[in-house]
Amino acid sequence: MKKIICYSVSLILLSTVAALAQDKVPLKTDLPKALFTGTPVPITIPHEPALEKWPEFSVPAGTVNLAKAKKVTSSESDPVVGTLDLVTDGDKEGDEGSWVQLGRGKQWVQIDLEKDANIYAVVVWHYHSQARVYRDVVVQVSDDPTFAKDVTTIYDNSDSGKDHAYVETRFGKLMDAKGVKGRYVRLYSNGNTTDKMNHYIEVEVFGKPAA
Amino acid sequence: MQNEETSAKRLNAEAVTTSSFFIRHSAFVLIALLALAVRLPQLGVRPMHTDEAINAYLTGQSLGGEKYHYDPQDRHGPALVELTLPIVRLEGATTFASLTEAQLRLVPVLVGSAMILLFGAGVELFGFIPCLVAALLFAFAPLPVYYSRYFIHETLFVAATFGLILSGARAWQRKTLLSAALAGLCAALMLACKETAGLHFFALGLAVAIGWRLRATGKIPPLTIWFATTISFLVAGILLFTWFGRDWSALADLFRAVPHLAARAGGEGHEKPFWYYLKLLAGGWSGGAILALTLLGISRATGSFVRISLLTYAVLMGVIYCAIPYKTPWLALNLWLPLTLLAGFASEWIWFATTKVSRRAAILIFCGVLGLLLAHDTHKYVFQIPADERNPYAYAHTTEGLLDLPVRLEELARQNHIPNPRIAVIAADAWPLPWYLRHFSQVGFWQPNQETGDADFFITTTDISDPLQERLKNYRSEFFGARPNVLLLLWSPPKPNSPP
Repeated sequence: MKKIICYSVSLILLSTVAALAQDKVPLKTDLPKALFTGTPVPITIPHEPALEKWPEFSVPAGTVNLAKAKKVTSSESDPVVGTLDLVTDGDKEGDEGSWVQLGRGKQWVQIDLEKDANIYAVVVWHYHSQARVYRDVVVQVSDDPTFAKDVTTIYDNSDSGKDHAYVETRFGKLMDAKGVKGRYVRLYSNGNTTDKMNHYIEVEVFGKPAA
Repeated sequence: MQNEETSAKRLNAEAVTTSSFFIRHSAFVLIALLALAVRLPQLGVRPMHTDEAINAYLTGQSLGGEKYHYDPQDRHGPALVELTLPIVRLEGATTFASLTEAQLRLVPVLVGSAMILLFGAGVELFGFIPCLVAALLFAFAPLPVYYSRYFIHETLFVAATFGLILSGARAWQRKTLLSAALAGLCAALMLACKETAGLHFFALGLAVAIGWRLRATGKIPPLTIWFATTISFLVAGILLFTWFGRDWSALADLFRAVPHLAARAGGEGHEKPFWYYLKLLAGGWSGGAILALTLLGISRATGSFVRISLLTYAVLMGVIYCAIPYKTPWLALNLWLPLTLLAGFASEWIWFATTKVSRRAAILIFCGVLGLLLAHDTHKYVFQIPADERNPYAYAHTTEGLLDLPVRLEELARQNHIPNPRIAVIAADAWPLPWYLRHFSQVGFWQPNQETGDADFFITTTDISDPLQERLKNYRSEFFGARPNVLLLLWSPPKPNSPP
């Protein structure tokens, strides 16, 4: 009898683990071609080494990019270069014409996912034709389009945040959103190491519509 | 009666000549003043390029009373510093720290604007319209305007080259000792700007020989002319290189520059394809039209000894500069001089090809459109995106982001109550940091494998060694861009009471 109980419990456990394992899948996305020319700059600082490959990250099965072709608004309604729709148009190449440039200082872009969703990851490509670091990158999720309430910060490398500054590469920056629920995703930056402008090539928001 | 008529005609002719002389020179003075007006605004806005920073440092050393020594290793000749010192002194600078970008860049601005006047002096040689067109293209096109606001040797070098061409031609034609001596002086100035003057001497010599062979007129100048040129060249060259007799070892160093230059010509990281200059000159909205005029001008440059020599010089310099793997955009300024004169020959031909008012009106409309295209390009590259990677003239340029580094250092020093911070810079190539840290009195520069002393702040490249990583593990780091793809890190002490 004991043996039967043991086998049954083991079977149930194994089935549960298998089911859970099946539920998680590696996050994949199309990557743009490399634009760096010449010898790559070695970056050996301890905090946030520059990515040399797409990071391994798992998301629940059925997770998709909810941001694709969704409406984008910004702190600057009339960008200096490009248009806001470039942020979610699926084009991640780094050439001129693929990115939107917002003005000097602190600026934001906001994506309306059109309905509530469980968000598992946000991937952002600011600019990857040269080694740059964008300052004070903050990513927040909310149900409120004005971000006045119910705001969850999923990434913050400003002075008050816990995350570290990172060097832009063609692999973008993957941020763990931990399944946070919300309809709007807002991304801040405050210039970069080359100039005071803010750029966005693409933002992908991986999640599933909320039940 | 007849004598009176002759005398009246002569007086009338002199009056006309005087009048046209006055009008001609007034036109070039006006263009030079406009060129100055275009070059002066926002002189201090663009960040200092590494090469500008090195020249500024050399100027600052001399300004501070240190003895200047000609260094053939990648520093070029002393002429720029020698010309700059009295000008920045007049502007009130007394030390390296007191120098500003605008003070230093005023020197090429003045040289670039004054060079326009040389085209007025070239009218007898090349004709009024060719010189007028070339002067306009030098005054307002993006390439010469951009590098006339750039504290490097190129503008001075090109002005000296044009001076050599004009005075050399005058010495050849009129056989005057003064022109011969002036030619020697200009040649010495070229060499004291950049050692690559040798290439120009070779090309000019060969061009004159070919021009003489094909369209010989008059006689070859007597030995006294050659002698005057040589003596003037030697005396001026020795004076310039030895800092007016104070550093005689510079002469030996000048010969040591040759193997270094030969190695440099191989590229040393600046290798570009042979069509690089063609692409650069044809760029923007106006480049194509100017190059088309230049190509047309080639067919109009075969009629005389002077013109065929200029054409040969243009072709030789084009071939030499395109063949050398080492290429930088400011070297295109050397090609710009003969190309603009060739464009002038084409313009002259087009203008005199018709006398119909309607056709000449069409030509003027074309000139107006070309002027607008030039204005667009110059405004964009010189003022709108002067240090941007999309700007073809901004080569490996210091980024705007680096301007924040000294500001941030001062802010952090205040926050940490350090009135006179000790700053250690650890980088294989620290330029242009000496310029941007010139206001701090305690700054040391080390190579990556060297042991540094104690410091309050560290500035490193991103490839720091393991021991240094260990040493800085509790420091806070901030990124700053130095040049495209070159990042620096500012390491500051941790905030009081903050976790590591």
